[in-house]
Amino acid sequence: MTDTPIHKVAQATPESMARRIRGLSDRTIAWIFVAPTIFLLLAVNIFPLIWTIRLSFTDYRVNRPNREVEWVGLQNYERILSDPDIWATMQATAHFLIWTIVLQVLIGFALAFLINKKFRGNDLWTTIIVFPMMLSPAVVGNFWTFLYQPQIGLFNYVVAFVTGADPASFSMIGDVHLAPWAIIIADTWMWTPFVMLICLAGLRSIPDSIYEAAECDRASKWRQFWTITVPMVLPFLMLAVLFRGIENFKMFDLVVQLTGGGPGNTTTLTSIDLKREAFEKWRTGYSSAYAVILFVTVFGLASIYVKALNKVKER
Amino acid sequence: MSFSVTEPSNGTKWFAGILVIGYALITIAPLLWIIATGFKSGPDSIAYPPKVVFEPTLEGYVNLFTDRTRATQDMLDAAGEPQTWYDQIARDQGTVITGPSRYGERFMNSVIIGFGSTALCMLLGTAAAYAFSRFRVPLKDDLLFFILSTRMMPPIAVAIPIFLMFRQLGLSDTHLGMILLYTAVNLSLSVWLLKGFIDEIPVEYEEAALIDGYTRFQAFYKVVLPQAATGIASTAIFCLIFAWNEYAFAVLLTSGTAQTAPPFIPTIIGTSGKDWPAVAAGATIFLVPVMVFTILLRKHLLRGITFGAVRK
Amino acid sequence: MSNFISGLLRFRRGPWEMLASILIALGVVMLMQPFAITLYSWSFLITLIGTVIFIIVSHFPE
Repeated sequence: MTDTPIHKVAQATPESMARRIRGLSDRTIAWIFVAPTIFLLLAVNIFPLIWTIRLSFTDYRVNRPNREVEWVGLQNYERILSDPDIWATMQATAHFLIWTIVLQVLIGFALAFLINKKFRGNDLWTTIIVFPMMLSPAVVGNFWTFLYQPQIGLFNYVVAFVTGADPASFSMIGDVHLAPWAIIIADTWMWTPFVMLICLAGLRSIPDSIYEAAECDRASKWRQFWTITVPMVLPFLMLAVLFRGIENFKMFDLVVQLTGGGPGNTTTLTSIDLKREAFEKWRTGYSSAYAVILFVTVFGLASIYVKALNKVKER
Repeated sequence: MSFSVTEPSNGTKWFAGILVIGYALITIAPLLWIIATGFKSGPDSIAYPPKVVFEPTLEGYVNLFTDRTRATQDMLDAAGEPQTWYDQIARDQGTVITGPSRYGERFMNSVIIGFGSTALCMLLGTAAAYAFSRFRVPLKDDLLFFILSTRMMPPIAVAIPIFLMFRQLGLSDTHLGMILLYTAVNLSLSVWLLKGFIDEIPVEYEEAALIDGYTRFQAFYKVVLPQAATGIASTAIFCLIFAWNEYAFAVLLTSGTAQTAPPFIPTIIGTSGKDWPAVAAGATIFLVPVMVFTILLRKHLLRGITFGAVRK
Repeated sequence: MSNFISGLLRFRRGPWEMLASILIALGVVMLMQPFAITLYSWSFLITLIGTVIFIIVSHFPE
């Protein structure tokens, strides 16, 4: 034991220093251990957040540093909250959000239910299904534009093969009606495994004895599914839905690479719109107010999420 | 096999297996297509109907790592015979290599920033997680929630003030700036996950060590860290994957010296239009390590994605 | 229902958290609904109130 590196370090430490460390109370150690984390988060998260809130009441523009900055009060908020264009991006986000959640919950739950039948090799196939979720959304999103190419794209080819349509006749990312679905399909492909994994955990948390008891009471499989399986998995499903909801509310990387917000503004989700305001039009004060609105919304949803998290933890 | 009422019948298993395998094959198809496209020649990659069987070539990889220019006959004559195999591949396309591309650099940036931020994050995260797990920290629940909420924030919204701050401090487009930023974003994950792992280690071990005359620090090093090794390793991989994949901050805050691969890969173009084999080659080199890590992580995936709440 | 109200009156955490969650959810729905721009305009205020209530009541006793 005496020749471990840590021991050597301990021995090499000067006596007075060692005594001082030994003398530290638990309270001091707790403080030393937590402080760097809190400090970094304050510097990189809270300080900028306060700065954003301050800027949101001004008409500051980064690209005109010499201009007099004027205090405009709540004007930025008033303008954003009465702007029909921003309202439209919120609706585009809602369309994306609702459909991705519906599809991911249905497919994810079905997959988890099937995997839980414990057929041979289910571990291997689960790992394969999980792959998309772990990859870089921007890189994968960029490649999906290739799959969506009219004529030469694999996606168009497969759809044409199944439906008999001409593969050159439709463009998933060029068509105003299809583009919102293009991003929903890619997101569903990517994140269904997330919902699946959480549902699987929910299914596996149900003790066999409950089903055995139900079997003794001659409850049908259908009834068992609705009275045991669904209610027991529901808290987990809630967690998955909230988390996907928050993530897709702020969706940026996948969609910006896939469609860039186009055609027109049909796939301009909120984050993409904010990026344009902040980093292309450089309306810093205005976009700070926009950012604060998103902050508060996400923060509110996150508090509900943590509540759901603790509920699942108790299981 | 023991018979029980909850054990699915063989027929059910077959049915479930076929459906799941079917879905898995559909879901893996785009990934296989990326890898395959990387080994296709330019014309093969945009052939109709899409080519499943093709003659593999390293053209995409050569194009990924080099800058080329379309060669005239004079230039080809002046350049003489191709010197190397990659020269030969470039010549076959009617181009000459003018130098290395930026991909290698960008990839190394991803490696430096990924590993740098992971190391820093684990250092800070382990200490904080230990303190939250073992000591009575004032406002513990509020601090933990605050730490988690930093993760939830929309990156674009955070990027506005960070952009201003980095510009003031001279951190924009530097490795250090990106490492600090990714560390801050990953801290929430590492603190929450590690707290879960450390909570599982019985306190009695440390108490025994303390009675044996260890200091708190020694007990932490010699008892807790080795016990938490698996947890620390899987948390580190999660942090690494996040930093590796991150796009929004990278595209807004870096443009040259510290740019990582995700913003760079989509900008790869050939001498005439989008060079899909090169993009696919770049993506393959970038994505395959993550797939390997996913296989290593498979037992801990669930913990990672739920911040340690669901432990299975 | 009467439990809920008496919980609110006695400053218990559960019902207040429920109220805050409902407000936040309502605010988010108002933010993204496609029906009336007035609802959209007031959504942020509702979410903000809900979030503030949530932060305060998370310190109430169970």
